[in-house]
Amino acid sequence: MPPASATNAPGATTAPGATDAAGLRGGPALSLARRALRDARIRTVAFAYMFAAYSYIEPVGYRHAYPTLHDRLGFAHSFANNNAIRLFYGEPYNILTVGGYSAWRVGGTLAIIAAVFGLLAAVRALRTEEDTGRMELVLAGIVDRRTAYLAALAAIAAGICILWLGQFIGFVIGGLPAGGSAYLALATASVIPVCVGVGAIASQLAPTRRIALELGGAVIGLFFLLRVIADTASGLGWLRWATPLGWAEQLRPFTGARPLVLVLPVLATALALVVAERIAAGRDIGTGLLPARDSAEPNLRLLSSPSAQALRLERGSLIVWLLSTGAFAYILGLIAKSVNSAGIPKSAERELAKLGAGSVLTPTGYIAFVFIFFVLAVSLFACAQIGAARHEEADERLETLLALPISRHNWLGGRLALAATAAVAISLTAGILTWAGAESGGARISLPKMIEAGANCVPVALLFLGVAALAYATVPRASAGIAYGLVTIAFLWDLVGSLLGVPKWLIDLTPFKHLAAVPVQSFSSGPAAVMVGIGLLAAVTALELFRRRDLLGA
Amino acid sequence: MTAAGYAIATERLSKRYGDTLALDQLDLTVAEGEVYGYLGPNGAGKTTTIRLLLGLHRPSSGRATLFGVDAWGDPVTAHRRVAYVAGEPFLWPSMTGAETLAFLARLHGGTDVAYRDQLVERFQLDTRKKIRALSKGNRQKVQLIAALATRADLLLLDEPTSGLDPLMEVAFRECINEAKHRGQGVFLSSHILSEVEALCDRVGILRDGKLVDQGTLQELRHLGVQTVEVTFTGPVPQLAPLPGVRAQAAGPNALRFEVSGSIGPLISALAEHPVATLTSREPSLEEIFLHHYDSSDGHAAG
Repeated sequence: MPPASATNAPGATTAPGATDAAGLRGGPALSLARRALRDARIRTVAFAYMFAAYSYIEPVGYRHAYPTLHDRLGFAHSFANNNAIRLFYGEPYNILTVGGYSAWRVGGTLAIIAAVFGLLAAVRALRTEEDTGRMELVLAGIVDRRTAYLAALAAIAAGICILWLGQFIGFVIGGLPAGGSAYLALATASVIPVCVGVGAIASQLAPTRRIALELGGAVIGLFFLLRVIADTASGLGWLRWATPLGWAEQLRPFTGARPLVLVLPVLATALALVVAERIAAGRDIGTGLLPARDSAEPNLRLLSSPSAQALRLERGSLIVWLLSTGAFAYILGLIAKSVNSAGIPKSAERELAKLGAGSVLTPTGYIAFVFIFFVLAVSLFACAQIGAARHEEADERLETLLALPISRHNWLGGRLALAATAAVAISLTAGILTWAGAESGGARISLPKMIEAGANCVPVALLFLGVAALAYATVPRASAGIAYGLVTIAFLWDLVGSLLGVPKWLIDLTPFKHLAAVPVQSFSSGPAAVMVGIGLLAAVTALELFRRRDLLGA
Repeated sequence: MTAAGYAIATERLSKRYGDTLALDQLDLTVAEGEVYGYLGPNGAGKTTTIRLLLGLHRPSSGRATLFGVDAWGDPVTAHRRVAYVAGEPFLWPSMTGAETLAFLARLHGGTDVAYRDQLVERFQLDTRKKIRALSKGNRQKVQLIAALATRADLLLLDEPTSGLDPLMEVAFRECINEAKHRGQGVFLSSHILSEVEALCDRVGILRDGKLVDQGTLQELRHLGVQTVEVTFTGPVPQLAPLPGVRAQAAGPNALRFEVSGSIGPLISALAEHPVATLTSREPSLEEIFLHHYDSSDGHAAG
């Protein structure tokens, strides 16, 4: 405090080493930004590694799998014009070159991950800080709201630069030209600030971190849906202009760059951040614009056991999972019929097999291919459930529970059972609603077959649930990171491992490899039993180990 | 020492976190129905003790029992006769006070609902409010009411009044006295000395993970330092030094003595001089407590 008044005094001589007015403003802001960056370092570094690895693997894999122009033409004709593929990777512009292919494959998927990163970063810095009361502490000092806000944004901006760098390095090592790599990495990274803006506004609206994430997640889901429709439905390509994921495509890296499109994300980001700042300046700390009900008549359902209460607390997010999975499955089913197998050369089939996609050229083949993403989603759901359990412990509410006559087995076992049941429900929802969508779209697929496809998601999810529980029991603080990391690595390894021509046993390490392509193939009970068995064993071990360790706060 | 017959018994209970020895060979017994004050500054190991007593953390060595049941080995049985109030009210933000009380009651069992409603009145808790909308003191009330309403044989309280206002502090003391009269035991971890002095039958003082003193307030006082103030009708006389007595001037005609042990020899010595007034004061718990912390060697009087 004293230095502040001293510097404001007119004519005061500045002692050597004293902070001047600018230094004061920069000082605390800089340390705030540094702390925020430090806070996010593990997430940032993990994403950067993932970006770098994926950016490296795609160009290398493409060159390896399709060395000649002839190979690439075959690939382009069959694979890239397939709606199912476009759904995930977006519109291909010129996939006959390594750069164009990389832009298509990497840009499409990484843009979605980048969007999630932006949301997480913004909500972490702008809502979680407030939720925990830390922001109050900061604002009680000599830092005003605007400075705190800008410091948080500066830290996120630094994180974005790190992600951009990760991608850039990945592409360059992967053999793409430096200029094009920089531009492609920029195209993907352009999604992040827009989603930071989304997260910033969500953080102002929502009274809690969780609601902010759900709001932001819904918006990103909408962005994705718009891009999917633009890329797959004919005549709706203009919708691409309505979503930041579409802007990343419209930047057209390696295929006739259009850098002017960058104006869109820049403007959208600036607008969102200014709006968020305005709201932030006018509201009470610790609240959101959306009304939060502080009082309620007691609702005494689902309070009879810790598991019942866990269901009660997770109910909201469970409904969100079911609804979004269902909606997505329905759309997939709807467009299944538009998959066209006419005029596909026989040679293309071989290329597709290399990608591990089976035959994606029939509606059932396409659905079988797409269902691997549901397997991924349900596995991530399992990780999230372990994350929620850990959260309960980190916030020390678990101490309150376990000081009651409740055993640790009972508590963790109940949570695992709940997670497993919910995973089954989400999986079956995916199967049944894909069937419903296919029926509405005119593709004939039997309901039992689609229930089978849904059930096919369960073994992998249970495997990861068990492994995540084991991580939770042994290294609780790192458990969420380990769980999400393993699922992501296993999934990406399945997608790209076969392209790289690595030995089969290495590729076989990922459980995704052992999935039957239901509904094209039948549900294979052998691998499923092994996966469920490993998951069960891991879960039982986790229950035993959890009984032997200290509870660990945040 | 056998664990049976005691609400709490620990045998050479130690806990090490990495390089830090948080609790060092604690031997502690609390009889059924006894109100035990557990004193120590922040970081002395009070919460560690309670976590070990509840089987939330695993002892590095030694063991802790509640009513003869091993706290780590069989926590569920051990907890049936115990109710716990944590130092920080960690509850579920989205649940209301009423829902939280109902939930905790169902999980514990044996809650006296009529008494609970009475406690809600006494602590003036608005149970319709969600936990996230409550201040820390009000959240603390939710925990306290839930614990008191179980009528458990032992209340394990970890700094239970942090955040309570003075009115509620009075209500809390009433409740603890009621519990005591019903024959419930209380283990009260605190650093609020007046609270411990007012409520507890026996007191233990913890320092750096070691129990440095233990006993009834009377016993602790006996071993502590008494203050004797004497004014004389004339100038202050010269007194021969006495063992265990420290004298210092307390005004023109007055001396203040700090006496360890019996004050008999001092009284005899003073009898030869013209004493106008003599007051003696037993040490407060605060003085006993500070005595243990002022001495840098930390050696206990007992």
